[in-house]
Amino acid sequence: MPRHATKLIFKLSLFTILLVISAVACLGQSTSGTVSMSATVSKFVEINSGGSVTLSGNSGGGVTTDGVANSPLAVSINLGELGPGNTNSFVTALVPLKLRSNASYVLSASATVTSSGSTANRIGAADVGFGLGTITRSGVGVNTGADTNATSGDPTLPANGSVNGTTGRYEFTAVRSNLSAFLSSTTALSGPYIMNAVPRSNANGLTVPAFFAVKPQFFENGTTTISVTFTVTAP
Amino acid sequence: MFNLTKGVFSALAITTLLMMSAALTYAQTTGSVTMTATVSNFVELTSGGAVTLTGNSGGSIITDGTANSPLAVVVNLGELGPSNTNSFVKLSVPVRLRSNVAYQLNMVSSVAGAGATSFSLKDTDVGFGLTPAARPANLAAGVDTNATPGDPTVGGSTDVNGRWVFAGANSTLGAYAVSGAVLSGPRVNKATSANSNTGLTFPAMFAVKPQFFDPAPAITITAQFTVVAL
Repeated sequence: MPRHATKLIFKLSLFTILLVISAVACLGQSTSGTVSMSATVSKFVEINSGGSVTLSGNSGGGVTTDGVANSPLAVSINLGELGPGNTNSFVTALVPLKLRSNASYVLSASATVTSSGSTANRIGAADVGFGLGTITRSGVGVNTGADTNATSGDPTLPANGSVNGTTGRYEFTAVRSNLSAFLSSTTALSGPYIMNAVPRSNANGLTVPAFFAVKPQFFENGTTTISVTFTVTAP
Repeated sequence: MFNLTKGVFSALAITTLLMMSAALTYAQTTGSVTMTATVSNFVELTSGGAVTLTGNSGGSIITDGTANSPLAVVVNLGELGPSNTNSFVKLSVPVRLRSNVAYQLNMVSSVAGAGATSFSLKDTDVGFGLTPAARPANLAAGVDTNATPGDPTVGGSTDVNGRWVFAGANSTLGAYAVSGAVLSGPRVNKATSANSNTGLTFPAMFAVKPQFFDPAPAITITAQFTVVAL
């Protein structure tokens, strides 16, 4: 083999080796990278106390456990005397509620009324007026939506009740104006999302007063326990 | 005259022989080796180690970072709605750079699956920043230019609508919907061995403030880093 051919083969081999080494080096060099993140925003609905309870028209009784704004709702109230010894027109408890959500909501109420009496004259669920008052959406970060109140509002309004002409018993007659309409969980309020995209530390929300009222009457004597549970859901 | 001519000829012949001899001698006793080579621009981006996820509710690290390996981290940030009561969901991703030339680190990002209303999570709701420290002595001397404000959880406030706003320019992924520089500087490495793992390591931080965002079951946030030689 001629000498110059051997030299050429040697040079080609050397060049090939250099190319391979270079390719390996390039493959080992990483110039980009990724960070992939996944996340979730779940539906969120919340009910809290909207503040202090207002009890009026009571004789005896009082607020045992008051509401504290933005804290879990767990108020306890002694309505006092509900018999004719109480000369006020109504014993009324006003309980502020606060709702927050990032989705459409439904507020339901479920009530139980238990009296120690045994006759038809004992206090029953229909004797406890109920309604939700003016709904307020205000403050920074609160969505301006239209809510649907399924109750008739303040049960003490003249339009919402009257004395039964036959029996003489006072009755809350308007739609969903007493607790007999809520013996099973029933929608009381609903609406679109409440909060815009703001941090949870934003304390604003939708506030609405829940009214409970009893007309003092010649009820059968005894003790009565009224319990109402509110539940908010995102349908 | 004939004798003179003969003498000159003889002298010339001897001189020529001597020169040829000298030339032959030189060619046989020396040689040369000529080499050519190249040092190309080298820039490299790898993971700087394990990531750190804090403030999460239900999240987890799916694919962790491994020091000196390609950066391909996958993280589930978990719940970003108000049921997460932490101040921030924060992800710290160590990044390592090596180079023999001036470099520029770019990033491009995207947010998908979060919804389309004004209250959906946006790229501007994902805080971002780098916090490189001064270079240690085992790296080439130089100052790196950080185009971000640093840790996105520092500072920030709510705007007139109550929504959280990260402080400073280039502090969210909204600034990187198209590729943009996040860090640049002079050569990183001294003339050290290529298999030296010494590099410029710094955390890339991502943060989201849990808020009343629109519900969204599958949000995807992606950040891609690319380093180039200047």
